[in-house]
Amino acid sequence: MAQPGTVLSVFAVVLHTALGESGCTSADGDGTLGDDEPDNFDIDCFSQLEIKDSFSSLTCNFTELPPYNTNYTLSLCTKEDNDYACSNMKKQEDVFFIQFIDILSNRDVCMYSEMKRRVCRSLVITDIVKPEVPFAINITYEREANEYLIRYCTPHSRKKYLKDKLVHQVAYRQKDSTWKTIESPYLQIKLLGQNLENEASYEVKVRSQPNGDYFKGTWSEWSTSKSFRTAREQHSTENYSSVVMVILSILGFMLSVAMIALVVVFWENRIKPAVWPNLPDHKKTLEQLCKKPKNNFDTSFNPESFGYVHIHKVDGLWAKAELENFLQPSTAPETSLPEKFRGGSDLKMIPAMADKTNLNLPVSYEALHRLLGTSQHAATEGSCSCSTYEICHSNRVPQHNDGFSLSSASPLDPSGQPHPDPLNDDTVSQMLPNSDTRSPNNEEAYVTMSSFYKIQ
Amino acid sequence: MLHAFFRSTLPVLPLLLVLPPVNASSCAMGNRTTEIRVKYENILSHDINELVNMSAEDRDKCCRNKKNGNIKVFFCNDTEEIESLQSMACNMLRFYKKQRISKALREKAAFVSCGTLQVLQCKCRTKKEKVCPDVFRIEDTETSEQSKKKCNQEVCELKENISSLRSCWNKFEKLISR
Repeated sequence: MAQPGTVLSVFAVVLHTALGESGCTSADGDGTLGDDEPDNFDIDCFSQLEIKDSFSSLTCNFTELPPYNTNYTLSLCTKEDNDYACSNMKKQEDVFFIQFIDILSNRDVCMYSEMKRRVCRSLVITDIVKPEVPFAINITYEREANEYLIRYCTPHSRKKYLKDKLVHQVAYRQKDSTWKTIESPYLQIKLLGQNLENEASYEVKVRSQPNGDYFKGTWSEWSTSKSFRTAREQHSTENYSSVVMVILSILGFMLSVAMIALVVVFWENRIKPAVWPNLPDHKKTLEQLCKKPKNNFDTSFNPESFGYVHIHKVDGLWAKAELENFLQPSTAPETSLPEKFRGGSDLKMIPAMADKTNLNLPVSYEALHRLLGTSQHAATEGSCSCSTYEICHSNRVPQHNDGFSLSSASPLDPSGQPHPDPLNDDTVSQMLPNSDTRSPNNEEAYVTMSSFYKIQ
Repeated sequence: MLHAFFRSTLPVLPLLLVLPPVNASSCAMGNRTTEIRVKYENILSHDINELVNMSAEDRDKCCRNKKNGNIKVFFCNDTEEIESLQSMACNMLRFYKKQRISKALREKAAFVSCGTLQVLQCKCRTKKEKVCPDVFRIEDTETSEQSKKKCNQEVCELKENISSLRSCWNKFEKLISR
């Protein structure tokens, strides 16, 4: 008989326990069976992290008034073992507010009524985060790209938890138009100028929200709006300036090409001679300076051109006295002449000697050289005041002894015929008086450059 | 017959002292590595960095001169990172009441200790975590206290403990991030 009672008692205990664990007891858990408050009460809460230094905040408000129109208090509680550790929230007008530093623990919001009943509701602080409002909106127009750069700031950039964990929404519109939005995780966005009207007024505002990786929540409040005016169309002025630049660049290029071509064309003929004149060639210069004789007077420094000319050697210098003797009657020199003078050339020389005004025979440099080297410097008398070893021009202008200068064009021979007989050394002295004789007769004595080459 | 019972069961008693694990974990069991990692990366790591910066503000010279022989050293044992962190956190809680340490530093240290225990879901053997509600309930008192405490052994111990805690968390975070 005792066994059924034991079984029933055990069953009752088990049933009570089971009912207790299933939560069918009163909500406040105090075991009373009075009228219980509803488990869920309509409140809306959001958290703000690091609102003041390291403190975060929780703000709650009733979405619906409590049914019994009684005063309620809200508390933020933490379950520790089997007990709650609660902190009352402060009532500020229609909202309840509390600050705390622990955002890791699992929290409950408990509502206490005047009947000292408690109804709790769990919440996760990191899932109801409402960021702070962005600020400092700045709009910059980039003319070259025709873009509007919108930059803004958020207080969470200087804090720990939500730094780089937010997504920002930028809303813009033309005056009295519908809002358009753009979302970005960065603190700046660009609006294309081609998508906006020219010379129109726009306004911009920004708000933030946790990006959802770990922190979740709602949008922050909108920032204060910032207005800006779009630029007018820049195409015409820009095109005009660009066209001018293009034209100028083309003209400059063509001018440079033309300058280069002119330099290349006139370089050899005009520019280089003016800028880098050639050094004068003495040979050519002298050829140009010397006038060509009218009577086939060959002036040249090329010994080859005087190949047809007989070179008469002069062996020595005639002394002055002998010269004077030569200036005596014409027959006397004729007989006193050595035999070697005889010949065509010699005979031709004689009348030349007689006629002091005519100097028909050339006097080679070689002869004169010997004359100058061996004879004394003796002045000649007569019409010619030259020394024995001076070259006299036909106009009887004495030349200095420092060198030989070409005489003016003077005929070698009136006949212009060469003298085939070569001169010997002995004839040098004989030639001298001839030269002296000829000089007063304005015979032109000249020295060919070819003789210079030979002597050298 | 009774003496036979005791004779047979009495030798078993010493085994009860040996057989149970020496370091019984008072942390919640279960695979919570993902939850631990995200909480550490998003919240606790920032607080630890802030604590390290606060600790570095103190003069470092005094702790170099102090003898380190009396400072208890904690090791972050391999495969026992959770237990090592638990030991470090529980040890750091004992500095919460030390008046010779600046208030801001010891409150922050206690906050990090309680946060570590909360993330790991651990408790201290000597019930030191009982101070955590008080730590979390710290009100915003505008204390512009910048009292520069003199260099003492406790400051050096706390700084050493902070350094060990950060190192062990870094090691554990790399381990569970794989």
